[in-house]
Amino acid sequence: MPPKSKAAPKPKGTEPSKQPTPTPSPASNTTAVPATIAARSQFRYDDSRPHDAARLKIGLAGLPRDEQAAWISARFARTPAARTRLPPKAQRELWRQVNEASFPVRALRGSKHSWGRDRNESEVSGYSAERFDEREGRRAQLTCLEVASRGFRERREREGKGVRDIVTGDKIVVTEAEVEAERIRRGEMAALRSELYGTVQGSFALDPEWDDIVPIPQGEPEAALAAIAYPADYDEAISYLRAVMLKKEYSQRCLRLTETIIEMNPAHYTVWLYRASNVFALKLPITDEMEWLNKVALVNLKNYQIWHHRHLLVDNLYPTLAGNPDELARFATTERKFLTQILVQDTKNYHVWSYRSYLVGKLGVWGSPEELKSIEDLIDDDVRNNSAWSHRFFLVFSDPAHTTPGLAATEPDPAAPQDITDREVEYAKEKINLAPQNQSPWNYLKGVLVKGSQKLSSVEDFASGFVKGLGNKDGSEAVQSTHALDLLAEIYAEKREKEKADLCLRRLGEKWDRIRIGYWEWRRKCLEEA
Amino acid sequence: MAEEAEPSLDIPRHLKYWKMCLRSPLPSLYLSNEGNRMALAYFIINSITILTPFHNTPQKDGTIPAPLIAPGERRQLREWVLSHQHPSGGFSGTSSLVFPLRDYEEWDFETGTSSQEHLGLANITATLFALQLLALLSDDENPKTAFRGVDRVQTLRWLRRLQREDGSFGEVLKMLPGHGWFIGGGYDMRYCYIAASIRWILRGDVKEGEPGWVEDFDTGALAQYILSSQTYDGGFAGSSKEEPHAGYAYCAIGALSLLDRPLEDSQACHPSKILHSGIRDMPGLIHWLASRQFSYLEPGQHDDDYDSDEDEVNFTLPRILADLSLDGNQRYIGYNGRCNKVADTCYTWWVGAALANLGREGLVQHAPARRFLLEKMQHRIGGFGKKPGNPPDLYHACFGLCILAVMGEEGLNKLDSALALPVETVRRIEKARRALLSREGENGTAGRLAKDIVDIGLGLRDEKPGWLTAVEG
Repeated sequence: MPPKSKAAPKPKGTEPSKQPTPTPSPASNTTAVPATIAARSQFRYDDSRPHDAARLKIGLAGLPRDEQAAWISARFARTPAARTRLPPKAQRELWRQVNEASFPVRALRGSKHSWGRDRNESEVSGYSAERFDEREGRRAQLTCLEVASRGFRERREREGKGVRDIVTGDKIVVTEAEVEAERIRRGEMAALRSELYGTVQGSFALDPEWDDIVPIPQGEPEAALAAIAYPADYDEAISYLRAVMLKKEYSQRCLRLTETIIEMNPAHYTVWLYRASNVFALKLPITDEMEWLNKVALVNLKNYQIWHHRHLLVDNLYPTLAGNPDELARFATTERKFLTQILVQDTKNYHVWSYRSYLVGKLGVWGSPEELKSIEDLIDDDVRNNSAWSHRFFLVFSDPAHTTPGLAATEPDPAAPQDITDREVEYAKEKINLAPQNQSPWNYLKGVLVKGSQKLSSVEDFASGFVKGLGNKDGSEAVQSTHALDLLAEIYAEKREKEKADLCLRRLGEKWDRIRIGYWEWRRKCLEEA
Repeated sequence: MAEEAEPSLDIPRHLKYWKMCLRSPLPSLYLSNEGNRMALAYFIINSITILTPFHNTPQKDGTIPAPLIAPGERRQLREWVLSHQHPSGGFSGTSSLVFPLRDYEEWDFETGTSSQEHLGLANITATLFALQLLALLSDDENPKTAFRGVDRVQTLRWLRRLQREDGSFGEVLKMLPGHGWFIGGGYDMRYCYIAASIRWILRGDVKEGEPGWVEDFDTGALAQYILSSQTYDGGFAGSSKEEPHAGYAYCAIGALSLLDRPLEDSQACHPSKILHSGIRDMPGLIHWLASRQFSYLEPGQHDDDYDSDEDEVNFTLPRILADLSLDGNQRYIGYNGRCNKVADTCYTWWVGAALANLGREGLVQHAPARRFLLEKMQHRIGGFGKKPGNPPDLYHACFGLCILAVMGEEGLNKLDSALALPVETVRRIEKARRALLSREGENGTAGRLAKDIVDIGLGLRDEKPGWLTAVEG
């Protein structure tokens, strides 16, 4: 039977940190505070194993005799054999020797401990003691927050199951304040995780509002094409979008989710359609949605989906306005103002112009003087803005008040009033005079003449004004506009003056519009065959 | 003026650019295309195919260069494309809209609603690009299997549902709460072209009552919609109310000619009745297309306009019109997409290919257009940019190559200007369509099941067993 503990009084020096040890040990020679926690551990390790360092280096036999004896005694005292095999007397003698040598009996085990790495991938073992304590404090703080957060989730789960509070007997209700506190808590947790480990958490995972949604991350095989290096937050938002779309959830939070994704990628058609679904399912006021859309449109000028969404909204708003001319006029005015604001920044934006022509048709404002004036302002600003010219043609020649419905733009319209055709011819001429080499008003002029069933030769004099001495070889030939020459060729062809027409085409190819020589030669061939 | 040497197309450099796009993730500036990854995939694979000879010819040292995409990888990429196929027909544009199949099952089970709801996620554009990719990535040894796994019948039925009453097409079908089925997407000539292309690729000439027959969409209504979108100046717009645009003109011409394109040994330019007898003002259309060319003049420093938004500026004109006839001003021809706008690489394609589809490619000069692309738009790292000096992007780099191939550039595979694919790939589509139809015509489910099992087996193996090759011939 092993001796009672009194037979083995607690040896001095087993806890070197508590009392200074007289025994010389490798580390105690230096009184300096260890610079890092790894060094501190090493110091403690060595301190609990006197002579070890020297022994490992030069062997036991190389140590002084007293140190040899102390090391052997201490080593032997630690073994079970010392307790079971030695008679009590011998044990006491052994322990006396160990105590006299003040030799620590409890040696620390293993000095290889991994402290891990911090957010910068640096070893934590390189930290100073103060810095390490601070880090440990943060870790403790994070643990506390995690415990509290788990408590919140559990309470919420109980709330969902209708569990009653054990003490009060009332049904558990998670209050808004608790949710808010949890939101703050998760923010702190995320900050701590980022500080300690460098991990970044998505904002949806941090928001208690989304706890009930299990995101569906996208899986993709190794062999895939056109993978895009997305930002992590886009990836997270899409994984929540997938989850709510699958659930067919329509809610305010889904609306906000679409907003988040649209801010990152306004070109995603599915997100827009899902947003529209939410607006309709929740029966939200269309005007609120349009107001929101205005802001989005101003920062995403080139986006196509925004205008498509707007189109859909107006289709749904229109029935509520249709019976009320005042409301309709007011709506037309606010839309026009907004479009003007957008077009100032991007005068030829195709999507905006498409929407504008749709709106004119929907609201029936072809004849609106404001609309026509607004287009004239844009043409005055840049007479080569072909988008504005096209819109003008649509306004004037699709107005059901004075046109035949269903006719193509290239077809003559017997219903087109003479005064309007004349007005448009004059308008085009006036703008051609400003910049004769601008093709937009020339195209417009011809388009108006065709619509109004007028002969092209009605503008022969006008077009001839831009061409002098055609075919003259004495250098007096002067052309101010190739488009005038082009139109003259058509006018002469119309009048069956083939030679004159051919001269126009030939001079275009030879001199005035050489890059299109193939085209002009083809026209000459057509003329010949006609 | 001294003759300047003609520039050359540095094919290895372009391949290097495309290899980078194939192998590394695209930078986040492509995020706005996340919903249309299938399109990006098409740009990459189409370009690589245009640049790579179909029949491996030994190089000068006698070695045969290894293809950029090995046969095993081609098969894996086809699987990836097929993974976007929708249970109810069509393809999704992005993996982020593909759900694990079990999710669809659960959804139906819970709500008890029609599985048709899923249609909202397939997209018409993605569907065309997916089919083109399957043909581009087809097995070189056995290209007729390109469309294995494509649900032809469901896709054609779905396509039919995307047609609006006015004959035009939308891009997606979506159930909107309180509104029923909604055909999403603007009034856009692109969808009309895509619908005609998908129909040509998949439908075939199955007669009513025969197995594999699917009711056609209203081709007459589509043609009417397109024809009525010609504008007063001869061009084509997204609809009759809008400004003409070269991309839409290409789509209008392409769609009309695809509606009656022969199914076998077909050519991009064929005597299409729908196209040539349908267009109200053909001289106007050709005039409008020819007008898209202009002498590209270096933007002068006096030109303040050029610093403002590049999309709204007008192209540069000389102060004196006669200067345009100077030889120096004949060197580069750029193309714009709309009247008075600046040049952009892709319009050389949209206009050039539209003219080729009309059989009128001879009306424009190729050399100055080629010089413009190679000297002004080509980038040092390979690929083409949108505007002079711009870095390359997938879209412009692909269509820059496409138009060079249409113009007969040496070293590039010949291109079908109506389908925007190499001619050889179009031949493969024809073979694959035939094979798909013969499979659908097989009687009984047992035969089909056996074929499916073989397909699954093939999917699991990298290489085809010898006995199967022998059976298939």
